[in-house]
Amino acid sequence: MSSSATNPTLGVDPLKKAKRERNPNEIGKKANFLINVFFWLYTAACVLPLFLVIAVSFSNERDVVVDGYKFIPQTFSLDAYRFLFEDWTPIVNAYGVSIFVTVVGTILSVILMSLYAYPISRDDFPHKNFFSFFCFFTLLFNGGLVPFYLVYTQTLDLKNSLWALIMPYLVGAFWVLIIRTFFKTTIPVALLEAAKIDGASEFRIFGSIVLPLSMPVLATVALFQTLVYWNDWFMSLLYITKDTNVSVQFLMYKTMLNIQFLSTNTQAAAGIAAGGGILSFPTETVRMAMAVVGVGPIIFAYPFFQRFFIQGLTVGAVKG
Amino acid sequence: MATQDATAALQPGKRRTIPFFRTVRKYWIFYVMLLPASIVLILHNYLPMFGVIIAFKNVNYADGIWGSPWIGLDNFKYLFSTDTAWQITRNTIAYNVVFIILNLGIAIGLAIMFHEMRNKGWAKFHQSAMFLPYFLSFVVVAYLGMAFLQGENGFINSTILPMLGIEKINWYFEPDYWPYILPVVNTWKNIGYFVVIYLAAIVGFDKEYYEAALIDGASKWQQTMKITVPLLTPVIVVMTILQIGRIFYADFGLFFQFTRNQGALYDTTLVIETYVYQTFLAMGDIGMSSAAGLYQSIVGFILVLVSNLVIRKISPDNAIF
Amino acid sequence: MKTTKKSMMLMLALVFAMSLVLAACGGNNSGNTNSNTGSENAGGSNESSEGAAGSSLEPYVLKMAYPGTKQQDHDKVMAEVNKYLTEKINATLELQPIEWGQWDQKVNLMIASREPMDIYFTAQWSGYAVNVSKGAFLDLAELLETEAGQAIVETLDPAYLEGSKINGKNYGVPTNKEIAGQGGFIYRTDIAEELGLDMSTIQSAADLKPILQAVKKAKPEMIPLFMRDGETFNVHYYAQFDFLGDANIPGVVLKDQDDATVKPRFEFDRYKENLQIARELYVDGLINQDATTTTLSTQDAMKAGNVFMTVQPLKPGKAEEMAAVTNLTGKLAQIAITERTIATSETAGSMLAISTTSEDPERAMMFINLLHTDPYLNNLFNFGIEDDHFTREGNIISPTETTSAYSPGGAWMFGNQFLNYVWDTEDPQKWEQFKEFNEGAKVSPGLGFTFDAEPVKTQVAAAVNVRKEYDPALDTGSVDPDEVLPDYIEKLKASGLDEIIAEKQSQFDEFLANK
Repeated sequence: MSSSATNPTLGVDPLKKAKRERNPNEIGKKANFLINVFFWLYTAACVLPLFLVIAVSFSNERDVVVDGYKFIPQTFSLDAYRFLFEDWTPIVNAYGVSIFVTVVGTILSVILMSLYAYPISRDDFPHKNFFSFFCFFTLLFNGGLVPFYLVYTQTLDLKNSLWALIMPYLVGAFWVLIIRTFFKTTIPVALLEAAKIDGASEFRIFGSIVLPLSMPVLATVALFQTLVYWNDWFMSLLYITKDTNVSVQFLMYKTMLNIQFLSTNTQAAAGIAAGGGILSFPTETVRMAMAVVGVGPIIFAYPFFQRFFIQGLTVGAVKG
Repeated sequence: MATQDATAALQPGKRRTIPFFRTVRKYWIFYVMLLPASIVLILHNYLPMFGVIIAFKNVNYADGIWGSPWIGLDNFKYLFSTDTAWQITRNTIAYNVVFIILNLGIAIGLAIMFHEMRNKGWAKFHQSAMFLPYFLSFVVVAYLGMAFLQGENGFINSTILPMLGIEKINWYFEPDYWPYILPVVNTWKNIGYFVVIYLAAIVGFDKEYYEAALIDGASKWQQTMKITVPLLTPVIVVMTILQIGRIFYADFGLFFQFTRNQGALYDTTLVIETYVYQTFLAMGDIGMSSAAGLYQSIVGFILVLVSNLVIRKISPDNAIF
Repeated sequence: MKTTKKSMMLMLALVFAMSLVLAACGGNNSGNTNSNTGSENAGGSNESSEGAAGSSLEPYVLKMAYPGTKQQDHDKVMAEVNKYLTEKINATLELQPIEWGQWDQKVNLMIASREPMDIYFTAQWSGYAVNVSKGAFLDLAELLETEAGQAIVETLDPAYLEGSKINGKNYGVPTNKEIAGQGGFIYRTDIAEELGLDMSTIQSAADLKPILQAVKKAKPEMIPLFMRDGETFNVHYYAQFDFLGDANIPGVVLKDQDDATVKPRFEFDRYKENLQIARELYVDGLINQDATTTTLSTQDAMKAGNVFMTVQPLKPGKAEEMAAVTNLTGKLAQIAITERTIATSETAGSMLAISTTSEDPERAMMFINLLHTDPYLNNLFNFGIEDDHFTREGNIISPTETTSAYSPGGAWMFGNQFLNYVWDTEDPQKWEQFKEFNEGAKVSPGLGFTFDAEPVKTQVAAAVNVRKEYDPALDTGSVDPDEVLPDYIEKLKASGLDEIIAEKQSQFDEFLANK
């Protein structure tokens, strides 16, 4: 870790925007055309599966079972959604939980991580190496599921609490290091020195100089944190048994788990059958409708962050 | 970069002369800033690390974790001593090697293509589309997989294969196809992320290099190989080392959810993660799962150190620590 | 570099300091358990009166976890339950239904982390032996001696307690239901009638072919025989394999024979015969072609209406029970094929265990007692509130509009099924039939024995995965047994089959010697 602090390598100013008007070094028309065709195909491959899921979710169950998944519903039907929203409280509730966890988690984690990253980005801070390593080490080593569960349920008593969904992702070592590198490489030390001479406190410097200059990386981190929080189901699986604290992903995942349960745990399935228990799963169209509901908002969050993150990642990733 | 040297110059040798408490007094605000995240790290990351002792114990609840008898390395045996153990290790490493290569090669190729595209508006559009799968949780991706691969009515079996006049294939039953399906899905899902990272680096390169190369009459290909790739090396190193550190880990979503944990596919899909999970379900033995976690951590740790060491030997500038 | 070293030292110091903190936490925990056992004894001494004298008891909150889906009217019914429980034993119940898909993982973690809990559902197929060997469940010997315990013992067939012992001790109270097991088929009567099929010709799996062929010919869109992993001719209840514990671990004896030699399944002729029959049916398209990979449960498949027959574990009224959940009321019937046998898989097939983390095991036992002996509570628990979730005439109940808001479908998990009301679509004589069914069944040589996999856990870990790789495909006939079975055997041997069998045999011999 120590060498990265004193050993800058890339003599590049990454913030420099590419201006490319009629560049003589531009690729030929033919190559450009081929690239375009290629990317259209690739884009189709990325987007079409989602369309398929959407199409199926609006199809008639019988058509799907008999004729298979089709991009154009043979009979348009809202049955799947009607079934899903018949009792809409769990879904609305789950959305509330997901949104709360995502928003609070993202904001908190960006604050915590940038607060941590700033001191260790400062070369004059004597313990920066210790704290860098303290953070980096967590990338390499973990205690495993059971101890982790023990700490959360017993030491912290967070079972069924929304904090159990937020805390696990609050500080990601990888992102801390990226933010640190960004601070280090893009914030001119001269600026900090000048502010200090003007009598600004470190806290003010951080708040009014460092943070505003770091929007790109912060937005990038925020985006990824949003993703992590929105897409998480594992923490819910571990810690949540209360219906009102279930997130959207978990609502969806629960079904998947129940389906998988049968194939993973045959003897239990036989045991249940022998007992007279009921194992019943949603139909195929309903499964797809659930997927649509689960994907929903995250797609819309994307453009909001997108304009920042090229810049953010550039600098951060150059030196992890 | 010059600014950094200036900082270093500003503080010559101070580090060693200032006593600890004076440092604390001078930088107290920094400690305050470090505090919240440190607390989280301690609680979330460090405290559970003591759980590694579980790996060496035969835990019974009457004696509690601390009081249970030590059994040495017994819990680790199942990871090494059987044929299945060899098979899961092979699968895990082989898939990860393939993933690392694909994530590197394809991502750089795509990033360069994006960079060369004439119409930047479309480039942005395609890039967004490519990033879309990265946004989907594996739960959703598994549903997508089912929509395509499902036995009788999946899209491939009900539409594509009949069109090509090929017999239906029972995808979730034939292990031979999965060494191709899994890398495709993994690439499909994650490539957008890697492309953005490499593209971000490429966009940042100084245009003068390319202009000079053009004057010397270098072709696009030569420019790519002689300028772009070398300049990308630091990013490539960081990304690759990080992935090498995870080479003993497998994406549970991909290998458990996407394969629907179908036993018939185990030959080519069973990896350490799913094996451990499966064992945990059957045996309910937390010692065995802890042993697996520790094993993965240690191997990852060593691999990161070793690969970093190798890189440090070859090109000290590119080592990450 | 120097600073790095210093940092490392600091880190280590910190880590060490934290280990002390954690050790302290751990200490606290063990302290808790000690105080638990203390309170248990205290409870025992002043608790001799029991029964209706609920008011003399301290108020207590009972926690109970069981697998199932939380019902819409859960809170409403629980309020009723709690009102009654407060009156009876001055306790309230905090019931935690956990969905099947999450059950294994969640319960394993809850147990591993010593979460305070009074009662867990458990079963031989749901980690009973493992959890007992880890000390998760309380030895019930003393509690069964109490008044509450004795009342349960009196109602239960002695085979239950005998058959659910581990190392001679009881750790779970079995649900009082059918004690014998039997394998057979459930089929659509309406279709059999329509096609004029003579179902009485079916004496074994080998007789199925002509019938299934007739179905396929007349109704090509139908699946003549629906199979999936766990519902085949080689599943333990059909082939009468007694796995002597976890059915994922190889090594069986036959329930319907007296031989006590543990052998892998493939050494029995019936295993190979059944594989051949399944293969023949599969090749002829009489079994669903996606049998190994289907995501449908049998109920869902039946509900879809295009399944003619399935392999099922049977008991009296099974077809009616299934008909009710698949909207096929009056259209299903069952054909019993195998002998009725009593094995640990049935006697320990559904139990309530008292957790070692319970602060008042005595009270937990009182609650289990009520489930076993109190018709009002038992039925409230299983069917909801009278005149809301059902209407009743004598012991016959009929559904209402709100029935679906509370139908946990868990009567087989809670207490005593003989107390249950009977739906108007079922045979009113259901419980008498159960009793008849239980009588005169053959007892498996393995009854009461449960294998402890700990000494061979490495081999078991591998074998479990090999099983999962081959069993579903072989048992459903999806692959040719002549080709694949040798591979399977070879892989099982490579994973340590012989050691597992030897260990099972030696434990079993010891059990038989001490019997």
